[in-house]
Amino acid sequence: MTMEYLEKYRDGRHKNWKDLWIVGPIFRTFKLLVKTTIHRPVTVLYPYEALWNPDNYRGRPALDFNKCIGCGMCAKMCVCNSIILVDTPDDEGKTVSRPQINIGRCSFCGYCAEYCPVDAMTVSPIVELAEFTRSDLIYGPRRLAYEHTTEGMKVKNEVTLLSDYLNGKGEIRHHFASIDRPELESAKCISCQKCKKVCPVDAIVMEEHGKNAKGRPILWPIINNETCVTCENCIEACPKDALHLKEVC
Amino acid sequence: MTDEKITQIPDAQAIAEGAEVTKEMAAAYTGSTMDTDKMWIIMGPQHPFSHGLWTLKICADGEIVTDADPIVGYLHRGWEKEVENRTYTKIIPMADRLCYAASMTYTHLFCMTCEKALGIDVPEKTKYIRIVADEINRLQSHLMWLASVGTDFGNYTVFLWSTREREYWMDMNVRLCGARLTTNYPRIGGVRNDVFDIDCDLPNDEDHSRFLRDLVRCCDHFDKALWEIVGLVDNNSTFMSRMLGTGIITREQCANLGITGPAARGTGIDFDIRRDNPYDNYDQVDFDVPVINSGDSYARYMVRVEEMFQCTKIIRQCVQKIKALGRSAPYRLKVPSKIPAGRTFCTLEDPRGESMMYLHSDGTDHPYRLKVRSPIFVNVSASKPLLEGCRIADVPIIMAMIDMCLGETDR
Amino acid sequence: MAYRSIIDYVTANWGMDYTTYTGYPFGAGVENLPYLISLRIWECIGGAIAWLLDLLFPGAVTIDGYDIDVSAWLIDPYTCVIFALVIFMIVIFAVAFIAVLISLWEERKVLGRAMDRRGTMIGMWGFVQCVADGLKTFMKDNVHSTRIDKMTYWWTAALVIGTSVLIDCMVPLSGRWFVVNYDAGLIIIMGLYALAPFFILVSGWAQNNKYSLIGGIRAAEMMISYEVPMLIIIVTAALLAGSLNIGDIVAAQQDVWFVIPMCVGFVTFLICSTAEAERAPFDLAEAESELVEGWQTEYGGMKWGLIMLADYMRGAVSCGMIVILFFGGWQLPFIDLMQVCKDLGPNFFWVPIPEVVFLLKAWFAFFLMIMIRCGVARVRTDSILNLGWKVFMPLSVVNLLIVLALKVGGIY
Repeated sequence: MTMEYLEKYRDGRHKNWKDLWIVGPIFRTFKLLVKTTIHRPVTVLYPYEALWNPDNYRGRPALDFNKCIGCGMCAKMCVCNSIILVDTPDDEGKTVSRPQINIGRCSFCGYCAEYCPVDAMTVSPIVELAEFTRSDLIYGPRRLAYEHTTEGMKVKNEVTLLSDYLNGKGEIRHHFASIDRPELESAKCISCQKCKKVCPVDAIVMEEHGKNAKGRPILWPIINNETCVTCENCIEACPKDALHLKEVC
Repeated sequence: MTDEKITQIPDAQAIAEGAEVTKEMAAAYTGSTMDTDKMWIIMGPQHPFSHGLWTLKICADGEIVTDADPIVGYLHRGWEKEVENRTYTKIIPMADRLCYAASMTYTHLFCMTCEKALGIDVPEKTKYIRIVADEINRLQSHLMWLASVGTDFGNYTVFLWSTREREYWMDMNVRLCGARLTTNYPRIGGVRNDVFDIDCDLPNDEDHSRFLRDLVRCCDHFDKALWEIVGLVDNNSTFMSRMLGTGIITREQCANLGITGPAARGTGIDFDIRRDNPYDNYDQVDFDVPVINSGDSYARYMVRVEEMFQCTKIIRQCVQKIKALGRSAPYRLKVPSKIPAGRTFCTLEDPRGESMMYLHSDGTDHPYRLKVRSPIFVNVSASKPLLEGCRIADVPIIMAMIDMCLGETDR
Repeated sequence: MAYRSIIDYVTANWGMDYTTYTGYPFGAGVENLPYLISLRIWECIGGAIAWLLDLLFPGAVTIDGYDIDVSAWLIDPYTCVIFALVIFMIVIFAVAFIAVLISLWEERKVLGRAMDRRGTMIGMWGFVQCVADGLKTFMKDNVHSTRIDKMTYWWTAALVIGTSVLIDCMVPLSGRWFVVNYDAGLIIIMGLYALAPFFILVSGWAQNNKYSLIGGIRAAEMMISYEVPMLIIIVTAALLAGSLNIGDIVAAQQDVWFVIPMCVGFVTFLICSTAEAERAPFDLAEAESELVEGWQTEYGGMKWGLIMLADYMRGAVSCGMIVILFFGGWQLPFIDLMQVCKDLGPNFFWVPIPEVVFLLKAWFAFFLMIMIRCGVARVRTDSILNLGWKVFMPLSVVNLLIVLALKVGGIY
């Protein structure tokens, strides 16, 4: 390994510096002048031409309304608190919960697309977002739609378990939503069923474990590992902190 | 300046033979014995020479600068306080905003600090990908610096040629992580996406990573293009006469002021964290650290330009290693969201110097305190020794050679 | 009066030789094309007015016993001389102004292409951008600090702009396109040229701004160091031609341009005149990286726009001087362009071939200046003084010695 540039100019660096040595550089610029006059300059005439952007380009977030399960993962991960969940009628008129994004606050980090468990939220190449008022910058669930979504826009969130890696099985990858699961501390559970109500994918069923002193059934949530998306809604909803996220590493 | 000894501008021959350029050799330009009034000139916060919001007060005796006083803090956003309320994952996009010119380095540093606190060693491929990302950012940061140096010289050709080359590295950034400046690419325990996953419309086996292929092409193109820019600057007496022998600091001053990075290597301090205290896999990569003894503006300029040439070498080697590791190698580990209580300290070679992070964690999922050490905040405090005795016309060029970046200075 | 149609009024004096009119300012028998153009313009305007007046109020009006025929007065040769002079000023300025705008456009495009970009893109390959810029500065508010020295602040700006416009108008475009034809024409242009830095110095003080003050002092420094070699080279050219008259100097370059015997002088003069016009790389007085906008810092809006225009006008004068001294003025080697024009016949002798040749050469000289600007950085004050006194001064003397040798050797 050599430092070509340094060796070239370290020895000759003071050569002629007091003289008016400007002919070489002027010739260099002249060469480029001739070249760009014959061909075109590298600049892109922006409103008429646009640069090519790869699929994973992080423009404004886009939402597939019907794919979305309303789990609120995007709102939880949003760095700028620009996402909230709003109640919207879906195609059948049923009220569902869907994200609404204030683009004026968005920092285009792509976390919402990355942490979406069902890839409903994606990045999109749209960057021309200027509006006249701030309220125009608020994108409701329907307005977030983008029809040309490709595979590359759905940001993958694949992880390798640390234990797998240490055991030399590093090539196994899991979707992040398939690893951690809520765990019940059954002594604290009061059978309120709130976890069942907030679960966006109906992964929780309440199982009866006998009756309490008043004769009411004791219901404990059973979580379906296949359909759970690790959105932690049940953990947050639990009034008695009976549910915890069991982190698998 | 009136009573100082009058000497000549440093002799070309003597320096070429390796003589140390002293302050006295370079300082004196004038032999006037007139009584003169000194004038404080305030440059900034809105001034074409200050790349960002900061103020430099200089005391001028005629055209000669006798004192300088930098004032920073116009861009203070309370970064360190704000991250205390965020989970570790949510700090990563904020770390991007520390230095907008080379966002990857601070994100990388933050993730490295967290991994060190967790006691995790990230996979080999992650390390190489992070090196590639770091070097791309180093290149684009140095090119932005070269561009701004061009404008400080009053020459816009250098500016536009450099930004033109920077665009290629920006494109690489976009393809790697989807954004030009605020990359948000490293994650605690890995990186956001695999380099093999980019450009999904091609069969993405090991031989078909278009990103890696284009990265090598970019390196080949850039080596040629940088020689063009170098030929415009280094073979040009107007540039050279303004860089040689101005803004001289000695090794001792440099050590006392805590100057790091290219500015320190320009004074003969042979230290680069990448080589001497290697993080990630820099010890597996073969590269040179440019060091020059003269300590003037030109030395700092040369160190940075040579670093750009070295960057392409590092990238090429890393591409080979990533290809050898293949698609199936892990790139992102699942890490716990909570970091055990303790104190961690991590350091990294920023394009501008040594940046450090000190993490005080308390066992929760957000830091108790996260301290950032920015190289520029320290380097800019050397304004007075750098500028003493130079001319007003040299102020922008000397200060450009420390490559101001206010995002990380004020935090 | 026998005039019936408007044509009769407009063409009333067409048979006469305009150079013999009473009060013709350029001397009897000396042709002046812009004057002829303005005369014809006035004949159109005046003739039309005269025709209209005669149509509405036929015959002479009698007031206090005198017959006052306004129509006859309007188309009288003596009246025409006076009104034509007013239009002459406008014509001369308009041509100089448009030539400067074209050189401004040239700089933007050439500079852009040399930097791998496109330059201005608004209309007519970017030329209309000049108009847009002018309109923009015109619309701006007239803002100035309250603590300026008002009188000097305004007067120096006016004088800088005024002298620049004046000398740009004084550069002759050909033997028949001039304002004055002094025997010491070059010296007079140089004398007016050298006034601008003095105003800049005063203006820098008047603005009560440290950047302006430093800029003004730098302008004065440059003036001192670059006037001398320039004047030596001008005198050398005069020596070669045997006259300080611009026409004579150009006539002496009929076959061999002075750039060949005075090649050393040409390079020196090119760089000195770049410095004199305060163009990059010698724009120390307005070095924007350290002095914000130098001596123009406190001038905003239309003042700044006009000062910018004045800068380019001085650049155009520098180019004109280079063309006159080194590139053979409005002549092409081995072709007598004036004769070519005459051969076009009495109806087309006005086709401005020599004038266009002169302007093309001036734009080429400006192109050289632009290329210098592309390739180099701004020079520091001390290097500028060093260059001026230690490099260009000896070079101009060497040039003088070469010319003396040629003169003594009998080649010239």
